[in-house]
Order: sequence, then structure tokens, then C-alpha cells
Amino acid sequence: MSSTVIDIGSLRARKARLGKRVGKLTALILFMLTIVLLAVGIALIVVDNNHNGYFLLALAIICFMFASWATWDLQLLPIEPGSVNGQLSYDVLARLNKKATNPKAVWQQLNQHWQAYFITNHLYISPQDIELVLDDKPESLQVAMDKAADYAAVNHHAQIELGFVVAGIMASSNALTDLLVRSKHDPKDIDAITAWLSRIIDSSTKKHQNFGGIGRDWAFGFTTFLNHFAANISLSIMNHGANYGWLTTAPDVIAIENALANNSGAVVVVGPPGIGKTSRIYALAQRMIEGKANPKLAYHQVLKLDVSTILSNAKRQGDIENIFNRIMIEAVTAGHVILFLDDAELFLNQGVGSLDAGAILQPVLQNRSAQFIMTLTPQDYQRLRTNHPNLANLLTPIIINELPHEDIMNILEDTTNGMEYRYKCLITYDAIKTAYRLSGRYDTEEAYPGKAIKLLEQSITFGKEHVISSRSVEEAIEKSRGVKVSAATQAEADTLLNLEAKIHERMINQDEAVKAVSAALRRARAGIANPKRPIGSFLFLGPTGVGKTELAKAIAAVYFGSETNIVRLDMSEYQQESDVTRLLDTGSNLNASFLMTIRQQPFSVVLLDEVEKAHPSILNLLLQLLDEGQLTDVAGRSASFKDAVVIATSNAGANAIREQIATGGNLEAFKDTLTEQLIKANTFKPELLNRFDEVVLFRSLNRDELAQVVRLLVKEVNTNLSGQNVSVELSDAAIAKIVDIGTDERFGARPMRRALQRGVEDTIAQKILKGEIGPGSHVLLNDADINL
Amino acid sequence: MLALAFFSWWYGSGWKLVSKKTLQTLDNVLKSFSVSLLIKTLFMPWRRIITYPGSGIAAHLQAIVDNTVSRFIGFLVRIFVLLAALVVVVCLALVGFLQLVIWPLLPIAAMVCLIMGFFQ
Repeated sequence: MSSTVIDIGSLRARKARLGKRVGKLTALILFMLTIVLLAVGIALIVVDNNHNGYFLLALAIICFMFASWATWDLQLLPIEPGSVNGQLSYDVLARLNKKATNPKAVWQQLNQHWQAYFITNHLYISPQDIELVLDDKPESLQVAMDKAADYAAVNHHAQIELGFVVAGIMASSNALTDLLVRSKHDPKDIDAITAWLSRIIDSSTKKHQNFGGIGRDWAFGFTTFLNHFAANISLSIMNHGANYGWLTTAPDVIAIENALANNSGAVVVVGPPGIGKTSRIYALAQRMIEGKANPKLAYHQVLKLDVSTILSNAKRQGDIENIFNRIMIEAVTAGHVILFLDDAELFLNQGVGSLDAGAILQPVLQNRSAQFIMTLTPQDYQRLRTNHPNLANLLTPIIINELPHEDIMNILEDTTNGMEYRYKCLITYDAIKTAYRLSGRYDTEEAYPGKAIKLLEQSITFGKEHVISSRSVEEAIEKSRGVKVSAATQAEADTLLNLEAKIHERMINQDEAVKAVSAALRRARAGIANPKRPIGSFLFLGPTGVGKTELAKAIAAVYFGSETNIVRLDMSEYQQESDVTRLLDTGSNLNASFLMTIRQQPFSVVLLDEVEKAHPSILNLLLQLLDEGQLTDVAGRSASFKDAVVIATSNAGANAIREQIATGGNLEAFKDTLTEQLIKANTFKPELLNRFDEVVLFRSLNRDELAQVVRLLVKEVNTNLSGQNVSVELSDAAIAKIVDIGTDERFGARPMRRALQRGVEDTIAQKILKGEIGPGSHVLLNDADINL
Repeated sequence: MLALAFFSWWYGSGWKLVSKKTLQTLDNVLKSFSVSLLIKTLFMPWRRIITYPGSGIAAHLQAIVDNTVSRFIGFLVRIFVLLAALVVVVCLALVGFLQLVIWPLLPIAAMVCLIMGFFQ
């Protein structure tokens, strides 16, 4: 490379500027003018022997020569390899003037081009903001142009496109890198967006495809009946265009092609939902219709059978078999048909909306007289192997594995082009990355890239002014999954900072527990917590009726939005080893299962009551839950607990805690001793206790605290009475009486609610029914009024 | 300078481009008429419409006649299309050849026309 500084005075640059001045429209007009001048000139010479005819002929030839030069040389500007100047595209050289001696000036002259907009729009940063931070030192241009040449080389472009120059200027500016970092962008996004742009330039300059010509189908039979029940993917691609890009050369697509070409009657493509099984078949159809596939499959057409059309046309018993038989006969006779059974379990199973065609398919597959492609999930393929082993043995399985991150991002970027066109919107690069990240975290049922594409599509409705940003994606996942992923609002931040006070509005004492849980929630919301584990996991130890469950409810109400956001399991119901299956049930039998509930509301408090009573096998599962933040059901689908707070409660060690308090000992210091005792007593295994973020001891409440509990309960009664505009107040003596009656050595404050019901609520109910109190009444109850 | 660039393009890359475009057009015509596919399948039955022989000599003879008719129809359609393709290719090749010959003469022709315009 001789020089990397842009030579504005070079012949290429001058030709480019002339080409731009002429313009494409003028060149076209000149071509048309050529024809007119030629016709008139010849007419004048032949008819009239008029000498002006020669002038018109000369003018016609000059017009033609100039228009040809402008179109095929000036505006195409062939590459002159060996120097950056010789590689710069027409778009760059045509726009630059003599002031283009530094990055800022070059930026000003190029930033109105669509390729520049493509990069700045997807970074969601304005060209003006970029211009402000770019420097005007000539030596910086050298660095920028070197970077632009690198982009061309990395993306296998012989020509340095305008987008590469723009990206080179951006990537080589330290000030711009700082700006990007400050606005929460990754400077490496410039590289990714440039590669994406490069693929778009490639596809727009793609040569005309060869679809076989006029006689393509004459060697094959008619498919009139079949066309009624199937969509011809190949013709659709041919007529409407499709570009499955690199997928047409993906190894698994070639594997499917080779299997079909090597006389395999049927191929089953196996992969989880969302992995792109159907896209691969479309890519294969594109290869075949373009004549790029194995010559044995050239111009073969893929017809996707529609099970619902078959079923809707079957009016009488036996119609399905007749239709399917006729389809098979036509496919065999046509000779160029590959039948595509997408979600093939619909064709192979019995049931509503399904078509049990295994018996009809088997002889056709055995004779290899027609070719098939089926798609199945791994579970459905396993079921097929179990239920129809003979049929399964006739299929050549091609297993589709998840692609590496980089390839998935390429697919997402390419899919974004179509989405932006369809929805007339802009999807920022941040939005694509966020869709990848959040779908990975919250959608455990589908595979990439399907789940990320689905999330991006859901995000379209959350776009602001036709721009889909990472915030739109976060909103989409928050609405669909009920989780919190975006940065905390000011109001939420205030709640988080005052979480202890909020919880204490409905919870008396137990400061240590409240503090531990509040801190865990703050860590999670600030993004500091380990994202691969639950938000927080706690073991609450203490006697009955001291507020363990109440604290779980308070967290659900204050942080998770409602007391109903609790998924509660009574572990005393899981004492047998066989209960493991019940715990990991899929819920497919219309019963609500634990894991299905968690999938539906991942943002919850998971309360495991009386955890010590569970069978050891269940406790082992709990280890996995706390460690990996997920459990897998019996069907192999995982449920995520990464957005849940897991609280296990236990009465184990309650007596020891009581004794410790009775002797005035320090509960915090006693915690280690108690856990040791519990391990020795084999109540809990040490590995389970170590998995919890914190083991919290709950102490019994004293009389003053119990009185406060009564006041909280009275507040609840008043909330219930507010509809009737009646309020109730208890004197201190009345409260003391309720405390006396409602406190129990064994059950703590648990009988308190019953005492209040009988002592206060029953009294008020009687007064209302007797008409002694009405709307606007305020009732003060003394100890004498409390009748128990 | 630009005038020199023009003439260097006209008698260099421009001329090559014309020959390349002519060949490309011919290739596209051959593909559009499916020439290679039609030659390969020239005697195949029309749209695979065939009669499978039943039992008995009459049925066999009937199948032979039916299939011969189908092949004959296929042959006729294909041969007509091939002949049409041949005509188009020959015409385009001729035009392309003329274009190649005329191309270098055009600047001279323009000058000649101008001179004739002045002195006619």
C-alpha cells in the first residue's frame, strides 16, 4: 500500500465526481436521446438528404458514448488494487472535496449517505453528536482510513465502501469511544454493525439467480391435487424472493441435501423449538431451486403439507386415508416433489388436530418412491422411536444443535432487516443484544435464534416513535413474564432504599431477617447479584407464630407487587421419595404443578414451609434449585428460579432458640451453634445449609411486640370496615386482654388472629346487625367489651 | 486528462465490457430457455404422463401407443422451444458481434458524421 490518505485529485476521484454530476437519470436520458437522434438523423438523410441529419447522427453517437462511459465506468468506478485510494468506492470519492483532509471534514461530507445512517441509526446516536467529538487532525485520517481498509479486508470486500470509511472514523476516535461508553454502548458494536452492513451490501449486489427457465417443470409430472393441500415453498421463494444467506451453505443443510441425494427416502430434522429447523428447509429449497444443490436434486420442489387443510377436507370416515393416498401417488408420479411435514408429530399421532398417517407413510418410505423431510423436537422423535420403531428406522435423522453466539447474532441482524421493513421501524443494535440476553434468561422452552426473534417481534409494540430500543425489549419481557429487568425508577429506588421500613409497616421486629432479605433484593435490583442463582435464598428458623410466613408475604406484597405472588409448597406433603415426580410434574394434565406455576410467574417468593420434613431426595433437588437457579421437569423442560426469592422455613431448633432467649443469650452468636446442632442431629445436611444465602433465626415476640401485632391486626379490621365507613379502636387494656388470650407458648402469635376475630370482629358484627352502630361510627372497645 | 481517460476506457475496459455483456446475455438466454435441460429430456414423456401396462397384449400395446404419444408431444414442445432458443441466440450473437465491431469505430463515425454535416 503506497498511501492511505485520500487523494482527492486522483483520476479515480475526478471520474467519480464527474459521474455524480452526470447522475444516473441524466445517463438514462442520454441513452433515450440517442435513439431519438438516431431515428431523426437517419430519416433526414434518407428522406431529404439533409446535412443536418449527419449532425444528429454525430450527436447521437456522442450521447451514446458519454452515457456508456458514465454508466459503466464513472458510476461503477472499477477497483484499482494496491492502494486504499484505488479501493475507495464511487460513493466515497464522489462525495469528497478538497477539504477532506481530516476525520471531521470527511465525516461531514459522508454522513448523509444511507450506509452512514445505517451505522448511526443502529447505534442510536446522532451524526451531529459524533461530529462534535471528532478531531480535525490530518494524521487522524490516516488511522481512520487504515481502519476502513481493515473493515473491507475482514468483511472480504475488495472495495472500501462508504460505510467502512464511516465506521473507520468512528472506531479510531478515542473521544467517540468515550462517548459510546458514556451512553452505555459497547464500542465493539461498531464492528458488528459494519459486518451486518457488509452483508446487506453483498445481498444487494447479488447477481440474478438461475431458476431453471421455461422448461424446468416439463420433465416432471403435474401436482394439481397436491397443490390443494400443500404450500409450494420453492415457487414461493422463486416468485417472492428469499435470502437465507449463509444458512444455504450451513453444514446441517448440506447434510440434509446429501441424505436426500444419497437415496434416503426421508430425512427427519430433529431440534428443539426455535432452533431454525423450518428455516433450514427453506434454505435447502432455495439451493435446489437455484440449481446449486446436488445435481440429483436440481430443480426439485419442496411442498409443505398442511394438516389442517387435509383434516378440513375429510368429511367422512376414510377420507383422510384417501386424500393422503392421492397425495402420495401424485408426489411419486411427479418425480420432483419433496414432501415437507413440518411439526411431523401432527401427521404421526392420534388426537385432536392430528392425522395418524404412519400406516400410509411406512410403505412409501420403504419403497423410497417419494422423498420426505420431517421436523420433530427431540422429545417427539424419542416418542416416535418408541411408538413407531419401524417407521423411525426408515428416517435418516439430522440433529440440529444450537449455533454459536456469533452466528445467532448474524441471524438476528439479518432477521431485523425484514422486521424493520415490515413494521416500518428502526431496531437498535442494543435492542437486538438485549433480546438475545433476555430471551436466553427468561425463555427456557425455546432455542436460539427463535426465542430472541420472538421477543424482538413482541417488542415492536413497545417502540417509541418507531424506534425499538433495549428499553422496548425490557418492557416486552416485563409485561410477558412479570419480571423486573429495567433500571429501577426513582419511586422504586425509594421503595428499595426504605424496604425495611415498608416491611415493618406490616411486620413486628425480626430486624435481622428483614435486613437480610431487604439487602438481597437491593443487590438483585442493582444488578450486583449473581444472575445465575435466585435473587436471594433464606432459611428461616424459629418457633411457630413468630412471623416467618408473614415476612414472606410482606416481601411478596412490598417488592413483588402483591401477596398473591407467592408460590407456596408445604414440604410436609413431600415426605416420600415418590413425591419427587409430583414436584417435577409438567402440569400437562391440566393440574397446576409447582414448576408450571414458576414458569408462569417467575418473579415471585417461593415459600417452602416446614422444609425439614421433606424427603432427602427432594432436599437434593433443592440443592440444584439454589445452586443453578433452575429445576427440570420430567419432560426435560427447565423452570427458572433466577427471579425468585426462595424462603425455606423450619421449626427445627425452636426449643433451643426459646431457651437461648430465656437465658438472655445473644441470638446472632447462637446461630452457628444451632446450625451445628441441626447438622449433628441430621435435620439438615451441611451442603444444604451452605447453599442458602443466609440462615436467619426468628425469636419469640415479647408482650410489647405482641401488642404491636394486635394493633396491626386492628388496622386490617379497619381496612375491611372502611367500606361501611365504620372504624374501631382498642384501649390499651383491651389490647392487653387480646395479647393474654391470643398468646400461646407453642404457637406464638398464631392464635392472636382468632382471638381478635372472636373478641373484636364478632362484637362489631353484632353491633352492626343490631343497628347500634352505622356509617360514620367510631367504636372504642375496652377490655370489658372483649367477650371471649 | 478526462478525455484521455475516456478514450483509454473506450478502447480498453469498455470494449471488454461489451464482449462480456454479450456473452452474459447469451448465457441468460440459454438458461431462460432451459436449453441443457430440454436437450437432456428431449425424448421424455410430456409431464411424465405415462400409462402403466396392464395384463394382456392389448393393454400392453395400448400402453406402448399412449407412451409413444406422450413422448412425441414432449419431443414436439421441446424441439420447438429449442428452435426458438436457437433463433434468439443466433440473432443476439449477431447483434453482439456487430456491437463488438462497431464499438471501436463509433468515435471515428462521430467525427465522420460531423465532417459530412459540414461539407455535405
